[in-house]
Formats: sequence, structure tokens, C-alpha cells
Amino acid sequence: MRNRLVLAGSRVLLVGIGGLGCPAALALARAGVGTIGIADDDIVETSNLHRQILFRDEDVGKLKVEAAASALLRLGLPDLRIERHLTRMLPHNAVELASRYDVIVEGSDNFPTKFLAADASRIAKKPIVHAAAVRWHGTALAVGPNGGPCYRCLFEDLPLGSAPSCADAGVVGPMVGVVAAVQADLALSVLHGDDVFGTLFTFDGKALASRRRVLPRRRGCPLCSDPRTIERIDPNRYAARHV
Amino acid sequence: MDTIVRIPAALRSLTAGADEVKAAGETIADVIEDLEKKHPGLRDRLLDEKGVRRFINIYVGEEDVRFTGGLKTEVKAGDQISIVPAIAGG
Repeated sequence: MRNRLVLAGSRVLLVGIGGLGCPAALALARAGVGTIGIADDDIVETSNLHRQILFRDEDVGKLKVEAAASALLRLGLPDLRIERHLTRMLPHNAVELASRYDVIVEGSDNFPTKFLAADASRIAKKPIVHAAAVRWHGTALAVGPNGGPCYRCLFEDLPLGSAPSCADAGVVGPMVGVVAAVQADLALSVLHGDDVFGTLFTFDGKALASRRRVLPRRRGCPLCSDPRTIERIDPNRYAARHV
Repeated sequence: MDTIVRIPAALRSLTAGADEVKAAGETIADVIEDLEKKHPGLRDRLLDEKGVRRFINIYVGEEDVRFTGGLKTEVKAGDQISIVPAIAGG
């Protein structure tokens, strides 16, 4: 009961409401999170439906934020509040968005947004749970409000080119369910005050094998060094290579 | 002396779908060269002119090779080497 009371007063921001965001939102709402913010400017497409489980055929063409909010409110959870942000997380709004929530749940489909969310959460001193899934490979990582080990400890900076994204590599529908469940579990653990930070979870959907790996801090990490070298959001750091 | 290299899904097109392959060598650099001989194209996916690509992490057991000597990290027979690429998608 105490846990539900804690969750009822908690605020979670979903960065992206796609294959990961949809099942994560369901898990968080059902667990009793009081306020779920959703930041996304995309519309529902037919190709999304096999894995973005909040959306129905009749949602195709609608804004994901609106379709997701409607689906979550249909759950009939009396204390659930949805905050719609009809925008991506962008350099000009990232820190302000992050600062309004207790935990950031990042399941975006592009690297600029992943690094931006990592940087903004660190600047706003908010914990963040990153996740990604491409083909049969998925990862999840929770980072504490004071950083390290963080996403930039794991992957220093934006890839220049050949890292695969879901648009060109594809995503296996059930994979995002597995990874999003872990992501939601990590977010709930953070809200409960558990130290789940700095351990990379990987899941191989072909071998049905999962692994947890404690990450080291990267020496010279721009978010975790003291003093850190990223103290504010510089749009050029993300826009130059935005895909 | 063979190590066991776990291949992430994104790179299995280069290993005929195998999720685990064997490669020999005394260092990570040797292992990658052996991988390249057996599975051409893998080296370029893992390395650039500066070393391990920045969106690729290579682990020997639980240790990230960036912190244990990079490409000069020594390996021994039976070591489990994992490749963890940065991915964005969902």
C-alpha cells in the first residue's frame, strides 16, 4: 500500500511513445504511477501496429500522443493523469521537460534524442532509464540523477553513420515487450528508491539469453567528470548529425 | 587458442546467422583479425582508424576492453568476448 501511495504521487516522462513507450506506459499506469507525461510528435502508421500495442487500426493517422493518452485513459484508472507534449524532446525544451518529472523513460528511435535525453536528465539532476531494441537485440540502462556510469560512459558520442536503427533494421514485435518490461521495472525501482543504476541489461531474442553487466565510469566522460564538460544543452551537439 | 565471441544480432549477417563463433589470438586485436579472416567485413564494423568504434563496446567476460588495454587487452583460451553495439529503436 505504501508503494502504491508513493507511485500515485510520482511523475514519469516517456520520451517517445513507440514500441518501447507503449508497453512501458501500460506497465507504469497499471503499477499505479500517478502522472505519465508523453513527449512525441509522430503519427500512428500501419507499420507501427505490430509492436506499438496501445494503438488500434482506427488510430492510423492520429497523433501518437493523443491515441496513447486515449488508450491509457480507457484503462479506467481513477488516479491516472496523462500530460500530452506534442513535441519531440528537442534541445530547446529538453531540460525543462526533464525537470518536471521524477524519472525519464527514454525509448526513442534515434541517437540524437538518446544523447540529448541523457544530457538533459543529468543537467536537470533526474534519473533516466534508457532502452532500445533493434531486430532481436535489446538493451536497458538506468542512470542516477548524479550521472555515472551513464549513457555517455557506455557510448561516448553520436555514431557517425553505420549503427542500425529500427527504420532500416526492423524490430521484432515481442522484443520490445521484453525490453520495455525491464525498462518499466527499472523505472519503478527508481521510484521506490532502489539503487539499480549503472547496470546494463542486454537481451538476445534469438538465443533467449539475457545478461546484466555492471558498467564502469568512462574516464573523461563529459557528464560524469568533475567538473563535467556538458553543463548546458548546445543544439549543435545533436542537430549537426540529426537523422 | 580459441576464444568464444558472442555476435550481436545486428552483425550476424556476417557470420551466417551464428550468434557465437570461435576466434584465436593472444590479444583482442588478434581476435578481431582472426574474425575478419573467417567472417570478412566484421573488422570494419568494429574498428575505425582510431581503434574500437565509439558506438561499439567489446567485453572480455565482464570487463570493457577500453579499460583493460584496448586492442592490446590479452585474452586466453575459453574467454567469452561480447560485442555490444549502440542501438536506437523501439
